[in-house]
Amino acid sequence: MNISFAIGVFGILILSHATYSTIQYRSFLKILEEEFSSPPFNVVVELILGLVLCLWAALAVPGKFLSIHPDSEENRIVSLPANLDFMIFNHRGRALPKDVNMKLKC
Amino acid sequence: MTSNAGSEIEKKSGDDNLLPTMNAENLQANMRTIYYSRTFLSIIAGVIAGILGLTNLTGFVFYFFVMAITSLGLLAKAKFSIHAHFDSWNRVVLDGFLSGLMSFVLFWTFAYDLVHIF
Repeated sequence: MNISFAIGVFGILILSHATYSTIQYRSFLKILEEEFSSPPFNVVVELILGLVLCLWAALAVPGKFLSIHPDSEENRIVSLPANLDFMIFNHRGRALPKDVNMKLKC
Repeated sequence: MTSNAGSEIEKKSGDDNLLPTMNAENLQANMRTIYYSRTFLSIIAGVIAGILGLTNLTGFVFYFFVMAITSLGLLAKAKFSIHAHFDSWNRVVLDGFLSGLMSFVLFWTFAYDLVHIF
């Protein structure tokens, strides 16, 4: 998450730099008394770059999409009891072979 | 068997309903994610439209363009498997549209004033 956040901040910085350049360009045009039609080419490039970076950050920062299937693996609503009161150790499991692959989900 | 949280809602079977039950918490979390993404991108689109000096209809066309790109991005983020994460297409494509429009116009006028008028 942090790298995407940094990318977003960087995109915003690029946009603010583009704002400042456009303000300067405008005051420059006022001196020459010309019409403002569109910002200069490098400002447009900066805007596109800022848009792409902010797009990436807006999609990556808020977090992953969670599955809404009730029977998908990450949506298990039943897990083995983790309560210590229910854990007994003096049972017949002692007689079983030692390494059993148990799938535990806490 | 103990059961944890995770409320399930029983959706009344409609016409062509593929998911009779779903995990409502996760659905809400996904909706919140879409909302954040769209709001942030509406603000960014407003700032860019202000800097470019777009006026009238061109600005709104730009907003729809950015929202279309956002929808594509959200589809790509969900890896095109909409039914695993949402219950209908409308949620991904149309959801935060109008609320984003307000933020867009606000930041559009703000940036336009900042750059072109003052």
